[in-house]
Amino acid sequence: MFCVVSFIVLSILSVFSAENRSLAREALDCVLRRVTLRPCNTGFDEKMKAKILGFVITKTETGARILNRFFEPLSWMFILLFLGSAFFAVRGVYLFYVTGSCNGLNQSGFCVFDPTGQSNQISNVGESCPVVLPGEDPVSLKGVNLSGFPVLNGDSQKRIVFIGSYGCEYSRKAYPVVRQLAEKSGASFTFLYYPVKESSDLLAKIGYCAYRQDAQKYWSLVDSFFTAERSQIEDEAFIRQTLTEAGYNPETIAFCANDPQTEWAVKKQLAEVVKTGFFGTPTVFIQNEVLIGPKPPRVYAIALDGLLYWAR
Amino acid sequence: MNIEKIRQDFPLLNSKNGHKPIVYLDNACQSLRPQAVIEAVQRYYEQTPACAGRSMHRLANEVSRQVDEARQTVAKFLHANRKEEIIFTRNTTEAINLVANALDWKPGDVVLLTDKEHNSNLIPWQMLARRFGVCLKFVPSNPDNTFNLSAYQQALQGGVRLVAMGFTSNLDGVSIPAEEVVRLAHKHGAQVLLDAAQTAPHQRLDVRRLDADWVAFSGHKMLAPSGIGVLYGKYRLLEAMQPFLVGGDTVASSTYEDCQFLPPPEKFEAGLQNYAGIIGLAAAIRYLQQIGLEAIEKHEIALNQYLSEALKSVPGLQIIGPADARLRGGIVSFFIPGVDHHRIALMLDQMAGIAVRSGQHCVHSWFNARDIPGSVRASLYFYNTQEETRQLVDALIKIRKVL
Ligand SMILES: Cc1ncc(COP(=O)(O)O)c(C=O)c1O
Repeated sequence: MFCVVSFIVLSILSVFSAENRSLAREALDCVLRRVTLRPCNTGFDEKMKAKILGFVITKTETGARILNRFFEPLSWMFILLFLGSAFFAVRGVYLFYVTGSCNGLNQSGFCVFDPTGQSNQISNVGESCPVVLPGEDPVSLKGVNLSGFPVLNGDSQKRIVFIGSYGCEYSRKAYPVVRQLAEKSGASFTFLYYPVKESSDLLAKIGYCAYRQDAQKYWSLVDSFFTAERSQIEDEAFIRQTLTEAGYNPETIAFCANDPQTEWAVKKQLAEVVKTGFFGTPTVFIQNEVLIGPKPPRVYAIALDGLLYWAR
Repeated sequence: MNIEKIRQDFPLLNSKNGHKPIVYLDNACQSLRPQAVIEAVQRYYEQTPACAGRSMHRLANEVSRQVDEARQTVAKFLHANRKEEIIFTRNTTEAINLVANALDWKPGDVVLLTDKEHNSNLIPWQMLARRFGVCLKFVPSNPDNTFNLSAYQQALQGGVRLVAMGFTSNLDGVSIPAEEVVRLAHKHGAQVLLDAAQTAPHQRLDVRRLDADWVAFSGHKMLAPSGIGVLYGKYRLLEAMQPFLVGGDTVASSTYEDCQFLPPPEKFEAGLQNYAGIIGLAAAIRYLQQIGLEAIEKHEIALNQYLSEALKSVPGLQIIGPADARLRGGIVSFFIPGVDHHRIALMLDQMAGIAVRSGQHCVHSWFNARDIPGSVRASLYFYNTQEETRQLVDALIKIRKVL
């Protein structure tokens, strides 16, 4: 067992030095002989044991005595610990690849590959993103009526639903990635706008009216809001200008937005969004997955097309 | 003998940057080299890197002169009658092989050995047994591993062609009573080859007084560079022997059909020689002579006595060979039943920077016959100190507590 342990440790160390590389080779030799049930006759294990003991004895005689006595069980323990940590490391790498977090989809907790937890950051950062208290039920589209929300490629088999807010940094990060993915894959893309502050939102109404007036022009409007300076978004002059640039008449849109009917319809829509149980933006529904927080692009792609998304 | 001053001549024994120098106790395998030898070798490569004997230019002449001088130095060192009795070889092993291959053998010829020969003085004779039906006989040692003179005398009765024996054993440091061995052999019409690999570095060798027919030893155990050894042979015997390795430099002239060999020693020195080694060997001998071989032997025995006594405090440790350290020269070979000898050696190296040898020391036959797996061998030389042997003992006591 000691040969196996040494092989593993030395293989790792051999990245750093040539001496360890040749020792690792000896250890492998030793392992292979072990495996075929011949005694380990390279003398390798003896050599390493003696070296380790020789080192430990200079620090603590008792330690060396214990080590000598329980060498094999200690080797076993070491290998079990190693296998355990290796399992978690491999699992972490896999989960990070697939979900953007070492601990699984939307799980926070420390992850070496994402030490600042970027891929799980959502709304609950100050004023800029909407905060909704998480509900009891899991986040899902079940029972949510999506008709009436802006949608692209409505009849595609594959479905992406994006809940986002123009002013939310993380939504702004995720939006172009998800939009692009939808475009490339031909999946349907439904956009559920959710304002930072529910009570005072003009943009929800403007969006509602714009989509109703011209569904084609609507998307360039959304793109503009997501890419604009955050401070400008609620500025009236800016809104006018953006509407004009998108090909709308700001007057008619303003008229529509002020209509109590619109207010009522938008409220209904926002209530529908809340039904998903989401608790922050961005929240992206792709096929059966719910991805909360901005993820690396591959994570959205994997959710849509599976692990081998890049081969398609 | 001023050991502290002597140690300054050996680069490895000088502590550098506050590092503790190595405790080198593997001298039976190879000795360390003093600066004088290193410089002699370097001088050859820097100033006279040429062929001796073949070319006529000044560099070649200078090398020829130095090689000649070196041969003279070795001859004097051995107290040989003439320098032509000195043949340069690669090492002891080659020297023994030379004799084994240069004599004419008949089936049934008896070669007499001891029961603890180094493989270098065993395998060449085993090959003769295979090729010519030569018969090998072994003189059993006394229970304490000393030479059994009466068993030897008995063995001689049966008719022996050659007595080939290790003068000093690399296993336990015991020397055979060589003068007596030679005298008795000659009395019975046998010739004698002495493997002096462990003798030449440690005690005065007088081949004339010994009257041995051949004596072999290596340079690397006596401060000289590796790759140089010596075969001493009585001139008239060398003259009568067939050459062993043949080719360039061994002949006076040749035709397509035949050749005319040069007299010894050239007859046996085929091909370009190890000039740097030869010159280095002479420098080593001069260094040893300056210190004096009697002083060296005395120092080693005193150290061995101290070490052997101190080792009694290591529980279970058994020394191979006689209890009297004076009979074991500079070698202390020991084992602790149930404790792996390699592990001890490796731990000594790791924990205290002590270099010893572990294993069967090329005397497998002796270990195999006794079912002893191997031993740890501490072999001393004149630059070793009591403090170093103390460190060995202290480390062993610690190891014993753990293993
Ligand atoms: C007694 C004895 N004979 C022969 C030899 C072989 O010497 P070399 O390897 O230099 O030929 C040794 C070397 O350890 C030795 O100790």
